[in-house]
Amino acid sequence: MMHGPAGPSNTVETTAPVLGIGAVGKRFGATRVLQDFTLDVAEGEIVTLLGPSGCGKTTLLRCVAGFWEADGGTIEIDGQDIVDVPVNRRPVGVVFQSYALFPHLTVARNVGYALRMRNKPRAEVAQRVASVLETVSLTGFENRYPSQLSGGQQQRVAIARVLVMEPRVLLLDEPFNALDAKLRGAMQVELRQLIKRLGLTSIFVTHDQEEALTMSDRIAVMSGGKIEQVASPDEIFDRPATAYVADFIGVSNFLETEVETGHVRLPDGQTVMTDLTGGVKVMTRPHNLRLGPPEAGPWKGTVSFHRNVGPLIEYHVEASDGNVIRVSAMRQERDCPVKDRSQVSLSVIDPASCSVYPG
Amino acid sequence: MKWFRGRSPVDVVGIGLVLAVAVFSLVLLVAPSIIVVIISFDTRAYVTFPPAGFTLRWYKAVFEHGELVEAMLNSLQVGLTVTVLCIVLGVPTALACVRGRFRGTTALSVFVLVPHMVPGIVLGVAVLFAGALVGVSPSIWLQSISITVFILAVMVRTVQSRLMRLDPALEEAAANLRATPFQSLRTVTFPLLMPAILAGAVFTFVEGFDNLSVAIFTHGFRDRPLPVELLALVQYTSSPIVAAVSGVQIVLAIAALVIVSMSIGLDKVNE
Ligand SMILES: Nc1ncnc2c1ncn2[C@@H]1O[C@H](COP(=O)(O)OP(=O)(O)OP(=O)(O)O)[C@@H](O)[C@H]1O
Ligand SMILES: [Mg+2]
Repeated sequence: MMHGPAGPSNTVETTAPVLGIGAVGKRFGATRVLQDFTLDVAEGEIVTLLGPSGCGKTTLLRCVAGFWEADGGTIEIDGQDIVDVPVNRRPVGVVFQSYALFPHLTVARNVGYALRMRNKPRAEVAQRVASVLETVSLTGFENRYPSQLSGGQQQRVAIARVLVMEPRVLLLDEPFNALDAKLRGAMQVELRQLIKRLGLTSIFVTHDQEEALTMSDRIAVMSGGKIEQVASPDEIFDRPATAYVADFIGVSNFLETEVETGHVRLPDGQTVMTDLTGGVKVMTRPHNLRLGPPEAGPWKGTVSFHRNVGPLIEYHVEASDGNVIRVSAMRQERDCPVKDRSQVSLSVIDPASCSVYPG
Repeated sequence: MKWFRGRSPVDVVGIGLVLAVAVFSLVLLVAPSIIVVIISFDTRAYVTFPPAGFTLRWYKAVFEHGELVEAMLNSLQVGLTVTVLCIVLGVPTALACVRGRFRGTTALSVFVLVPHMVPGIVLGVAVLFAGALVGVSPSIWLQSISITVFILAVMVRTVQSRLMRLDPALEEAAANLRATPFQSLRTVTFPLLMPAILAGAVFTFVEGFDNLSVAIFTHGFRDRPLPVELLALVQYTSSPIVAAVSGVQIVLAIAALVIVSMSIGLDKVNE
């Protein structure tokens, strides 16, 4: 549906964020769902809220859209506080998880809805609807009802319906949930390209880490109503700020150990520098580990399980201390994989890529 | 008997029970109606079965019987008044019960139900006595209002259950798409409630037209509704004219059923 390269997102050089969320809180009775939530979103940027179920992602979107009132804090768009602006006057477009298409209206009337509510002239409505439908490749579907569309088409209508009003901020709450896995992958790429081409400032909600890595300029990893870390997908993956983030994104191995004057010693004998003291957790990704013959090093274990995941082989190695370590290696066609129950030794490929967290 | 092959015993018993109940209700409810319709075409001037011949004279007689025609018109007026009142009062009540953000929404929805739980006769007598105390005498208006109070719950419940099944995100989407609360009601909520309102309207119209228990105590002296007129008629005559009136009502009831099922059918197309 969306063609061409992603727009030049880095040419816009503005300092003021389009959307500024400052110290927003929200509670239901005694449970605090959002605590001191602060996030700025720059012009044309896609920020993803990623976190487990119930961590407050939808709650934040609903506060920004105005469906719920935040208990405190500020929500600004282009520097204007919108906390007291009613829902129907906020320059915000929401794509709902269920799409929430109007079942009694055709595609064209769904898409033109916002314009009709603003009493735009008929000709202008028709022209803008046609142009938006073309953008999302739904030309020819004008007179269908939502029930006569596939899931992917319904989602495009939901997006078109919001695009037609040219919102300053786009909010998407798990828009791919209702799609099957294959379509989801394709739609992620298309949607990102479309949003980038239109230069829309967006908050995207998901609890799927792969989706977050695909869609985002920055990812905000949330836990219990707070942000744990906001950073680019690469940084979140390569240098997770906390053990929680490391655990949430990708597969991680945690090794508990003690700091010895400025560094920790890994079980294979190598060292990692750290400023921390006392008990710590060292995290290493499966692809930063290597298997060798049992006599090759001091860190020994037994392969308890292995499986083929496309280009990679994933091993579970039970170390002598009982820890199960996950290791992945590129699969070479002629190599025969290390068999289950065989004795191996483990070593870290690049100690500098390990992260150290307070224990 | 191959139909039960591959079905569990529970299914077999279940299907058998459903069939038995269906046949039973067919015999008990539909058969008498059919007999009444057959009798209404009988050539003889008294009720017998089987009929001796075919004639439309009883239908003609119904429409030449001044009091019966007037009673039908009265009942029509009551039915329409009750329907209009139930829509005007019931739809906002249902909206308040489901979408209201104030204390007492539950109390309100129970309160609406109370008059419907009271036997119609009790309600009728109560209105008659209370009316006498404050100097309101029975009339076609008192009758209409009393039946409205009695049947309002049906409209409220029908609309309420539809509202509860409506995705609240639809109204939020409307607001997000720049609709004012009133525009959202007009362009989203009402169109989606229409089938329920229509179904409720049919039920309340039929009650207004057909109610005897409340009507008998509250109708105006000179404005007898059809059920009361019929009751009087069967007391001194057994001519098939009564059967012919029933025939007319059965036709109306079938029309109502068709409207209801069509509106519920439309409902499904939307979802
Ligand atoms: N109306 C409400 N009343 C009380 N508690 C609520 C209400 N809505 C949400 N919550 C609570 O707020 C918390 C956050 O909910 P929220 O819907 O924001 O989670 P989420 O991050 O979107 O989760 P998911 O990934 O499952 O959609 C949950 O613990 C939930 O139980
Ligand atoms: Mg959610």
